Amino acid sequence: MNQIVLIVVLPLLAAFLVPIVARMSASLGAALGPLVMGVCLWITGTVAIESAGNAFAINIGGFMPPLGITFFVDRLALLFAFLTALLVLVLWPFQGEHRPREHALTLILAAASGGLALSGDLFNIYVFYELVSVASFGLVATGRRSSAPAIRYLILSGFGSVLALVGIALVYTQTGTLNLAHLSQLAPTHLINPIGLAAFALILLGVGVKAELFPVNTWVPEVYATAPNRVSALLAGLVSKLAALVILRLLVLVFAQEQALLVMLLLGLLGVITGELAAWRAQDMNRMLAYSSIGQLGMVFVAFSIPGETGVFAGLAIALHHLVVKPALFLLAARWGGALSGLAGAAGGNLPAALLFTLFALSLVGVPPLPGFWAKLLLVMGLAEQVGPLYHFALAGILIATVVEANYLFRIVSTLFHRDSPASPAPQKHSGGDIATAGLFGASLIAAVLLLIPLSQSLKTIAQQTADAAAYRAVVTLAPTTSTLGDTQ
Amino acid sequence: MTLFGLEITLDLILYTGAFGLIVIGAAGIVLAHHLFRVILALAIAEAGANLLLVLSGYRWDAIAPILSGSESAAPMVDPVPQAMVLTAIVIGVGVQALAVGLAMQVKKTYGTLDMSAIRQRLEADIAGTAGIATTGSQDAPLGERPLPPADAVPVTPGSSAR
Amino acid sequence: MRNLASLLFAGGLGFLLMVFGLQFDFGNAPMLVGQAIQSAAPEQVGAANIVTAVVLGYRGIDTLGELAILFAASTAVGLILGHRHTSTKPDPDSGLILRAGGELLMPLLLVVGLYIILHGHLTPGGGFQGGVILAAAFFIPVLARPSTPLKHTGMMLIEGFSGAAFILIGLAALYSGGEFLQPLLDKGTLGNLVSAGTLPLLYLAVGLKVGAELAGLLAHLAAAEVSES
Repeated sequence: MNQIVLIVVLPLLAAFLVPIVARMSASLGAALGPLVMGVCLWITGTVAIESAGNAFAINIGGFMPPLGITFFVDRLALLFAFLTALLVLVLWPFQGEHRPREHALTLILAAASGGLALSGDLFNIYVFYELVSVASFGLVATGRRSSAPAIRYLILSGFGSVLALVGIALVYTQTGTLNLAHLSQLAPTHLINPIGLAAFALILLGVGVKAELFPVNTWVPEVYATAPNRVSALLAGLVSKLAALVILRLLVLVFAQEQALLVMLLLGLLGVITGELAAWRAQDMNRMLAYSSIGQLGMVFVAFSIPGETGVFAGLAIALHHLVVKPALFLLAARWGGALSGLAGAAGGNLPAALLFTLFALSLVGVPPLPGFWAKLLLVMGLAEQVGPLYHFALAGILIATVVEANYLFRIVSTLFHRDSPASPAPQKHSGGDIATAGLFGASLIAAVLLLIPLSQSLKTIAQQTADAAAYRAVVTLAPTTSTLGDTQ
Repeated sequence: MTLFGLEITLDLILYTGAFGLIVIGAAGIVLAHHLFRVILALAIAEAGANLLLVLSGYRWDAIAPILSGSESAAPMVDPVPQAMVLTAIVIGVGVQALAVGLAMQVKKTYGTLDMSAIRQRLEADIAGTAGIATTGSQDAPLGERPLPPADAVPVTPGSSAR
Repeated sequence: MRNLASLLFAGGLGFLLMVFGLQFDFGNAPMLVGQAIQSAAPEQVGAANIVTAVVLGYRGIDTLGELAILFAASTAVGLILGHRHTSTKPDPDSGLILRAGGELLMPLLLVVGLYIILHGHLTPGGGFQGGVILAAAFFIPVLARPSTPLKHTGMMLIEGFSGAAFILIGLAALYSGGEFLQPLLDKGTLGNLVSAGTLPLLYLAVGLKVGAELAGLLAHLAAAEVSES
């Protein structure tokens, strides 16, 4: 089962070689990337079947955990590794001119995302996070006018990395280790204190840049409005979820203290409210989707701040739902990127796209029986169970945000189907590939409705496994010398 | 040595240096108007974080972590933060090189490196692409999508129309 | 207003960090992992320089990620700036002293760079430090003669194949029954040039890749500057 490391290594190998292969044979170079992503998909699938849901750890280089770097493979990690390969494959830049460098960056993004899902070492997570960052800056900058948003994104993200690095330094000063299982073992004595809280806040702000967390999300509207839509779809759909996954892991294992949960609840709630209000005011499709993405990620953070398995379950449900819906919406926005008022009667010329948009909008708002409804229901029920005024305040905030969300999304849907269109020229037709891909996402959404019970059960198992820090520590066997040293500290 | 009643020790100097660099970098990022200065401020903040990281492994009584001959029993400083700093520095170099490349592209597209001017033109640009009138976007054509070819003539800040 | 708020944030951050910083027990690092690595490294990895043992052995996949970051940065710069071909004339070549100096320095820098790379497992230094010197060796002649730019094809081949070599050494360990990047070959005598198994080979790959990456980055930036003026 240690071939799971290949899902990080093979895309990197392919990325290094793509420019050379493309020089020798253009068609081979164009085929290399999708081929490797297909192999990754297959590897993840076989490992998932082989492991049968039991978590296991692999030690890179064969060194015992706190000395070397560990990859921790459980259901959640495999799920996100699988979704990474799948989403990158679905959103692969097949169309347009073939640029080997763009393929190389996409492959690096896939490798680093896989690494983020698997890694069980704090500094290794930082390295993969930076790799995701650099690859995404490059991909964002491929847009025609996205150099300025890309550099503003880079500066914010770079400063976030500095904060995260300071947080890691604080953790290392306190504990002298980086392995998540070892940290989890030492946390009750070394990190449940103000310094631990400060370290969490710094890492949260640093990793939160990619996760569109409230104060560090100013890049989102600019980048999503100017980057190529497939890149926006990857960032909003995949990268933001992986950053949230990292924060979830750290919260469950290392920083499991009440104040940390409250910080996250507050920032998440602010994200929901500001995001949805800004989306309500937005006048063009791309920025509306960007702000709505901030709101949805805020809901994920609110959910993760509910302690225990309930919060993980609700948060994962919202995150996965958003992962399916938002890339599809960005694909549909590729031709509908103009002003929202210019979309009047667009359904007349392009009925499938309009119907798909309606489906995604309904699910995003949470109209039963679509999956979005069940995800939101889990969150609302989880919040209602908690005691404490802040949780109930968050509950009210989420419900108000849903009303706002419904208002602006239904406004767009009614514009789309508004018959007597004014003299404005009809928007361009979508390319066949975009519609087909969006249709694929729509089909999986409908399939999720039909398979709701088995899906929610397996998601519940994943949440149980993820929320169990003791099980994580049991899987990673630490080298004997360091664990005794830890006791004498 | 004491200064204003505060004892000046090596660790105070080092920590003040590290945190001072981070704060100087943070202030530079938000206050500087020139894009290149912002990139430099980012580099300064990174240096502070790296210094803090390498401080976390220091020991008073120890030597550099290199084995040489017989005296391998002597205590050595923690090698892990040194390896991490090596990694972090190289990451910083990569990010800064990319930032400089992007800044050159920004200069080509907008003809300026002033942060507030870039921000204004960016707002106007996005609004213009979307076909929305915004206040303060005199130079963005309304209505259609102004997407010039990639190798368009660089727009100087003085010109009011494309 | 925004500036004031930002300054307050920066000042507050500094104050917060300072308050925590003064609580640290400086100079007495806990060294849980560090201690264990120091006692295990000579036997497990066989490198006299323990930092190298950490960089390429214990945290080898970090190093792979870091190489990938340099590659991604260089690729992204090439993607952003690369499609503009030099249409204007490049700067004229510099005078005799600079040209001759550049030509004299190149072999010296190559030797020093390779020395530092190959002794990375014994003395301070290694692939990153040596790689930067290699990049300088290739870039100084370009500064002296802007009319003869670096050959992009050669750089591309070096960066691709050296990165691939690093990964293939790691995969060789995986397919000979171990884990990815597990040390292979005989450890040799601690402190000898030929020791520490595959570590010197890995560092050679790192050095070549870093050198090619940085030289390529500088060449891209220089070419873009030329085409702008």
